[in-house]
Amino acid sequence: MIEAQALSKRYGAKAAVDSVSFTVHPGKVTGFLGPNGAGKSTTMRMIMGLDNPSGGRVTVNGRPYAQHRAPLREVGALLDAKAVHTKRSAYNHLRAMAATHGIPDSRVREVIELTGLGSVAKKRVGGFSLGMGQRLGIAAALLGDPHTVILDEPVNGLDPEGVQWVRHLANGLASEGRTVFLSSHLMSEMALTADHLIVIGRGRIIADAPIQSIIDGQGKARVRVRVDRPQDLLGSLAGEGVTSQVLEPELVEITGVEPRRIAEVALRERVLVYELTPLQVSLEDAYMQLTQTEVEYQSHDLPLTPATPDMQQVPAHMEGR
Amino acid sequence: MATSTPQAPARQRPRQEQLPGVTFGRVLKSEWIKVTTVPSTVILIVTTIVVMVGIAALLAWQTTFLFDAQSNPDMAAQMQAQGAPDAAEISRDIPGSGLIFGQLLMASLAVVLIASEWGTGMIRSTMVAVPNRTSALLAKQLIMAAVSFLVGAGSALIGYVVAQPILDTAELGFSLDADGALLHIINTGSVLALVSVFAMSVGTLIRNTAGGVVTSIGVLLVLPILVAIFGGGTEWVADAARFLPSSGGEQMVATTIQDGDLNQWQGSLVLGGWALVLLAASLLVTKKRDI
Repeated sequence: MIEAQALSKRYGAKAAVDSVSFTVHPGKVTGFLGPNGAGKSTTMRMIMGLDNPSGGRVTVNGRPYAQHRAPLREVGALLDAKAVHTKRSAYNHLRAMAATHGIPDSRVREVIELTGLGSVAKKRVGGFSLGMGQRLGIAAALLGDPHTVILDEPVNGLDPEGVQWVRHLANGLASEGRTVFLSSHLMSEMALTADHLIVIGRGRIIADAPIQSIIDGQGKARVRVRVDRPQDLLGSLAGEGVTSQVLEPELVEITGVEPRRIAEVALRERVLVYELTPLQVSLEDAYMQLTQTEVEYQSHDLPLTPATPDMQQVPAHMEGR
Repeated sequence: MATSTPQAPARQRPRQEQLPGVTFGRVLKSEWIKVTTVPSTVILIVTTIVVMVGIAALLAWQTTFLFDAQSNPDMAAQMQAQGAPDAAEISRDIPGSGLIFGQLLMASLAVVLIASEWGTGMIRSTMVAVPNRTSALLAKQLIMAAVSFLVGAGSALIGYVVAQPILDTAELGFSLDADGALLHIINTGSVLALVSVFAMSVGTLIRNTAGGVVTSIGVLLVLPILVAIFGGGTEWVADAARFLPSSGGEQMVATTIQDGDLNQWQGSLVLGGWALVLLAASLLVTKKRDI
């Protein structure tokens, strides 16, 4: 269980995290979704006690991280893949971390096997690929068999097999009753892995809801229609608050009206409809809609920011730290 | 927002009772593993010992020539007029004569041990495992100070053993209970230990290997040279120079104390004071700053 209350982090005048409150519950995978620079990593570093909040507080399993007697047994975290001395071997890195908690070598070997690092465990971490670095970071997170697992962009750099492995791991940990909190900017990945979503943009929580309700709530009916005279059909629908996009001469995508209504209008207008496909709103679309509002809202304060939503607007140092 | 919060299985709680968490002893063990599992660290430590012992042997050999020269009365009178030291007197300084090089290498190592953690990102793993930053840093300091002490005192002792047969060829051999001989050997280790605390604190404050090495070597080894060159004529500079960390270290290993100079214990207060002040500053700053 992770609880944040009015948690803020400011760097000078810029608020990387702006008074966010949320709760991450055990027993399910909670996704932490947001564009680059939205404040995901900063929030996670504050949870782990590495950054001091400028305001508010955050607790893990009931108390601030640093106040746990055996922090690695409470929380395991992958914050960035290469939080490792490059000249040390993976095995020795894990051994040094385990030693702080009296975790036996047998557990070190266990997590090495679990993460599939067996063949490279004795090699220098400096030579690791991004994917192997991620696996080592996950191995370190699991060392203490923790109640709460925090993974920052765990699938970055992983091959498809690795991505699937992380997905199964996250779901497996959640089904054992643990709290699983993982961040990503990959919406498609979240759709497959997370049960619950917390969406952050520009340091603020935009949405905090079960994943299905985010998809449903943001989704307006969207229908793909093949029709012989699109202009006539769209003309007749114009009064009903629809938006449309002509993709091909006879193919349009209509948003904001049910398929049945389109068929009725087509029948009345005597246009020929030869395809009428309701489209499911993807999480990606829902996410774009959520974050766009946030960016547009912000742009009033910042006249220099272009009005078009641009995910790269936030200075890089906020994300890279 | 969903409200169902399934209870975590009870099986994990009892395991935590059996395996309590972070203790200072465990943090020490972890830091020891870190020191011994980076090959370059081990190589640097071995190099330091070899260099320090080598310098002691070389100086012993050179001192036998000085002794030979001084055993000729004419030559001795001439050399004394030029202010050359007495061979028997300087022979007792031989065991720890590689101390400057020892400082150079051990101070660098101390900076590297902490600053490379920031450089590689390892520091985040360290501070996540041991969120009490003060005890994480103290454990690292303690391990490095102990290693430095053993390297210094060990090298001096080996240097003594290696130098004796060479010095014996010129009747310059001395026993460990000779004036100041044993304290010289022990304090060669103490100086390195304090220097490593000084340097690691600088590295902790600067968080950058190159900057930390330049700063600590600059203060320890270059500053006294600059003071000697430019401050020679000014009385207050010469007076203040006695309280440089390097001067404190020099007095700690001195086998003869000149009139008006600090003695070994006062020297250790000077160097120890510098080390402690910087250590305290590094602990305070690290506690406040983000990692």
